This record gives sequence, structure tokens and C-alpha cells, in this order.
Amino acid sequence: MKVLLIIPAYNEEENILNTVTTIKEYSEEIDYIVINDGSKDNTLQILKDNNIKHINLVENLGIGGAVQTGYKYAYENGYDIAIQFDGDGQHDINYLPQICEPIINGQANMCIGSRYLDKTSSEFQSTFMRRLGKNIISMIIRMCYRKKITDPTSGFRAIDRKIIELFSKEYPVDYPEPESIVNVLNERYKIEEVSVSMNERQGGTSSIKILNSMYYMFKVSLAILIDSLNKKKVK
Amino acid sequence: MPLELTVALIVISAIYLILIFRAIKKGKMQISFSIFWILSGFGLIIALIIPDLISKISKILGFSVPSNMMFCVTIFIAFLLIFDLTVKLSKESKRNISLVQEISLLKNRVEKLENGEKNEKV
Repeated sequence: MKVLLIIPAYNEEENILNTVTTIKEYSEEIDYIVINDGSKDNTLQILKDNNIKHINLVENLGIGGAVQTGYKYAYENGYDIAIQFDGDGQHDINYLPQICEPIINGQANMCIGSRYLDKTSSEFQSTFMRRLGKNIISMIIRMCYRKKITDPTSGFRAIDRKIIELFSKEYPVDYPEPESIVNVLNERYKIEEVSVSMNERQGGTSSIKILNSMYYMFKVSLAILIDSLNKKKVK
Repeated sequence: MPLELTVALIVISAIYLILIFRAIKKGKMQISFSIFWILSGFGLIIALIIPDLISKISKILGFSVPSNMMFCVTIFIAFLLIFDLTVKLSKESKRNISLVQEISLLKNRVEKLENGEKNEKV
């Protein structure tokens, strides 16, 4: 099984080298690709200087467009599993076997690393507002699909070849994490969650600012409800 | 409507049409996009040349004042136009994203090939 780690990076000069070094320390064998999303800081220089495999987006596309580039790369190069792994050091590479397991066993097409599945194991569960936000998103997905996703905004996720193909053709731009889950459910593929713990952000700023979270929630909810209209009928 | 006002409005409409045709000629606007603007210009002139056209139509349709009908129609058309533009913009931005992705992927491949595949396994 060919596995690819997709590492989107936007203005991650402080973290990206660390992230990649950790991956290389974990295993020399593992394939990865950093997607530099038109960073304005020295991210690109760091990638070049340290001989890190990367794709440099000529314009900034946002997280959705960046990750999709990775999926396209994975699709073209015949990878069986693609794992999104954030470049900011939030995700822990040691959970790699766990997150791949449901896919290798054929239990799921997509596997999400959840911070909330097992409450005790995770040190970083983020702020109250964000927890409230993800609860609302979870609830909406549950209402529309009768499927419990405990951490719909988690960016740590593995997908199999079928979904690589799906995502390389069509991937949401606006709120990619929750929306892509809905797209997968629309196609009636299976999603599993495994418990992971995430680190506090090591630097940089989160793409979701707390002040904007209410507005974000409203838009995400609406986006999910709209996406859910495209649910495939059971034949 | 006083003659002076009618003439002034016809002149303005004519200038409006000239501006549109100039934009099309210079290639600033695609023909398919310009149809709406050309029609709107001619529509204005026709409404001005034929006396009482607007007031008669509004009477038939049951508007109490002709200006009400004009506002109603104009706002409706403006909304349609904005809607159409939003759809086109979304389509365009999707294509843009896809182009950026393909170019970036290609650049990556070209670089790899230029380096004689030696960076393939870093």
C-alpha cells in the first residue's frame, strides 16, 4: 500500500521544518508532500534549503485548494491512501498506524482523527467556543445523515483510493473539513473515527479566529445543509 | 413629458449606447455579455421615442404610477443580473483554482525532470 502524507502549509516558516523532521524521524520510508499555499513568509525558502519535497502553488488558494492539490498529486501518482497532516505541528505522526488501520482493513473509506472520541487521552481540546461550534456541526451532520462524527473540523484524516479520486475531482473550497465529510457521506462511503490527541499550535495563527466563530458557524451550518441536498438516493 | 427633457434623455441614452459599443469594439466586453447592455440601451430609446408607451403599459398592468412600474422592473432586472454574475463568478473562481493547481503540479514535475529525478526520493 502506497501511503502519502499531504502537508498543507501557509505561512508556516516556524513549524514546517519541525513537522517534516518529525515525520522523517518517525520513518524514512514514508512519502510526503508539502503544499506551499503561496506563503508570504520564508516557507518556500525553508522548503528549498532543506530539500523538502514540495509543490509550490503559484497563487494562494486557501486550505481547500491546497489540500486538493495534494489529492490530485496522490491520484496521479497512484497512492492508495492519502493522509492530510497539518504543517503547524498540531498533529502527531505517531497516530499514523491507527488512522490507516480502518482503511487497510476495509472498514472505512475515510478515517478521521478525533480529539473528542476519547476525552481522557487528549490534552488539547481547544476553547469552549470551538467545542460548542463542533458540537453544532456534529449535530447537523447527525440530523442529516444519522452518523455521529465527533470531530468534524479535524484536519487529520486518511482517505482511500476511491475518495482520493472523488476529492481530486471535486473538493469544497469554503469550509473543506466539515463539507468534505458531507460529500463523502453523500456518496454513501463509510467514515470511521479514531481517537488521537493533538498538540497546542506551536506557532502561527489558527485559521478560525474566535471572534469570527459565530459567523463561521452560521456559514458552515448552511453549507452543510446545502451540501446534504445532494445526498444520493439508495437504490 | 416636456420635449426638452425627452431630447435630453434620448441624447443620454445615445451616449450610453455609444459607450457600450466602444467597449465591445475594444474587446473589453464579450459579445455574449453585451447583449443585455445593448438591449437595455435600445429599450430606453424606444420608451422615450414612443410617447406614453410607459404610462400605457403601467396602466394596463395596474400600477398606480408609471414610475412604480419602472422601479419594479429595474430592480427585478438588476437582481437577475447580479444573480447571473454571481453564478458566473463562482464558475470562474472554480476554474481558476483548478488552473493554479494544474500549473503548480506541472511545475513540480518539470523541476523533478530537470533535476534528473535525483530529488525523487528525498
